[in-house]
Amino acid sequence: MTSKAEGTASAARSAALVLNGKAFRLGDDVNTDIHCSNKYLPGKDPAYVAAHAFEQLSASLATDMAIAGGGILVAGAHFGINSSREQAVHVMKLMNVRAIVAKSFGRQFFRNAINNGMPVFECDTSTIAPDQVLEIDFSAGQLVQENGQSIVTAQILPKEILAIVQCGGLIPFLQKYPDWKFA
Amino acid sequence: MASTIVEKILAQHAGLESVSAGEVVVAEIDFAMVTDTRAVNTIKMIDKFGDKPLQFSKKTALVLDHYSPPPNLEAAQTHSTMRDFSRTRGTHLYDIGDGICHQVVPEGGHFTAGDLVVGTDTHSTTYGAFNALGTGIEGTDVSAVMMSSKLWFRVPETVRIELNGPLAPGVWAKDITLAMLGRFGAEGLNYQAIEYVGSAVAAMDIDDRMTLCNHAAELGAKAAILQADAKTLAWLKAHGAKEPKPVFADTNAHYRQQLVIDTETLAPQLARKHEVDDIIAVTEIDKQPVQFALIGTCTNGRLDDIRQAAAILKGRKLAAGVRMIVTPASRQIYLAALREGLIEILTSAGASFESAGCGTCVGITNRLVPGDGDTVISTANRNFKGRLSNKNADIWLGSAATVAASALTGFITDPRTVDGGHWRSRA
Repeated sequence: MTSKAEGTASAARSAALVLNGKAFRLGDDVNTDIHCSNKYLPGKDPAYVAAHAFEQLSASLATDMAIAGGGILVAGAHFGINSSREQAVHVMKLMNVRAIVAKSFGRQFFRNAINNGMPVFECDTSTIAPDQVLEIDFSAGQLVQENGQSIVTAQILPKEILAIVQCGGLIPFLQKYPDWKFA
Repeated sequence: MASTIVEKILAQHAGLESVSAGEVVVAEIDFAMVTDTRAVNTIKMIDKFGDKPLQFSKKTALVLDHYSPPPNLEAAQTHSTMRDFSRTRGTHLYDIGDGICHQVVPEGGHFTAGDLVVGTDTHSTTYGAFNALGTGIEGTDVSAVMMSSKLWFRVPETVRIELNGPLAPGVWAKDITLAMLGRFGAEGLNYQAIEYVGSAVAAMDIDDRMTLCNHAAELGAKAAILQADAKTLAWLKAHGAKEPKPVFADTNAHYRQQLVIDTETLAPQLARKHEVDDIIAVTEIDKQPVQFALIGTCTNGRLDDIRQAAAILKGRKLAAGVRMIVTPASRQIYLAALREGLIEILTSAGASFESAGCGTCVGITNRLVPGDGDTVISTANRNFKGRLSNKNADIWLGSAATVAASALTGFITDPRTVDGGHWRSRA
């Protein structure tokens, strides 16, 4: 059983979710079933899919991200639209995607990302320059670019969601907090 | 605080006085449904927690519908895994031929008005026809529900759509939802909930109300929900649902958008090939030949859909070169159609019946693949390229009446032109 003190400590840690990485840009309406799962990309092997993910949208993205040792995906509106496959998030984790920043997310993709421990940040991404190193403070709802420009989001993730992300997803969260009481 | 129906249901299930759009809540679930497309992963995740008893099993149904009957060994093995899990963990099970999840779950009386229901399929919005909040989720979500009876939700904004006026004979909820897709575009209401109200909704029978809520999934909606009325309560009672707890919106609730739509002048609508939101009125289509007509799916495979088709085709034959397949949405509907003589009428006209399930929609079973260059006219909810396992076929969407009228003439046809529109009482 989890003690109340541990729960509070976890919530405090959630409050400190800060990530950084290089920005890798994609456009609007990215369907992750088509571009980042084995639904259409040939080959059942997630490593194969990870090496070819998004190549129809950005030919060298997967390779460049592998060389950089991972990074932050930055997209326009409706990232993950029409997509329901959780495997897409697993593939992005294999690519070392540390977080996804988009103007908006497809409804089920948003759930899948959080449930599989992938941090998501919703904001106007039009001013994010490619290749900038970004630092995102999820609990403060602030993204700062290398060039000093910063973006504040109106959609700060609540502490419950940050706790799920920090546990690595919904199942590990429930293993730790079977009754959902973490703070 | 004044609230929409969805805000009230989420607040009640989260143990809160009120919630508002944008807030994240952890809510208690009343019932969960798992289809064969997500069951294997779900079962794997649950098995990782060992074999301790699952309290939620009796509130869970496993439904073998997308691969019904199984087209290959992998699907057959999935079904075996589901049957084993259901037996050892004590869930409800709907086996092949029992029907589509969104039909068998309401028919089974598994939830009632005011409930919060989740399912591993986008069209779980259908449950809103009974004033329940139904929404689609994924494998991880449903595993969490089965282990903890709870799930997190972001409270959606609600759009209120008032549908006023009668529907012309030959015009149905399907035509309204297609018109909505033309207006908002596919995923145009992403994240949002829809409350449909008005005299057109009140006049609809339950079958048509289920179509209205089902097709909201293509709009990207998290839920579509209706008020409960005497028809709702009678249907729930007849199907053994527990005591209903109808939920109404407050008059001054906050909506993202409010629309009033006059339904009286609405003509039958169609989604043209490949795009679910490329909508056109049937009156605008001139001599578009069709080769393959499909009636079925969770959108329009219900008894009234089969009745419409039988009324149009009674004592007649499909046009030369047209074939037609009907898949009732459930075994109960299949049996009712049998008792009403509808199966004999349609089979005599040249249609074939396949087992109840998702076959007419997903095209992975039931031998439903169209040929290259075929134009399919279907009652399904999706028509993207390759949906029926052939990228060289075109799929158009319309109501059961439009599909049957088109199968009769061999061209996309306005059902109001068959018998001068006076066909409703023929079967």
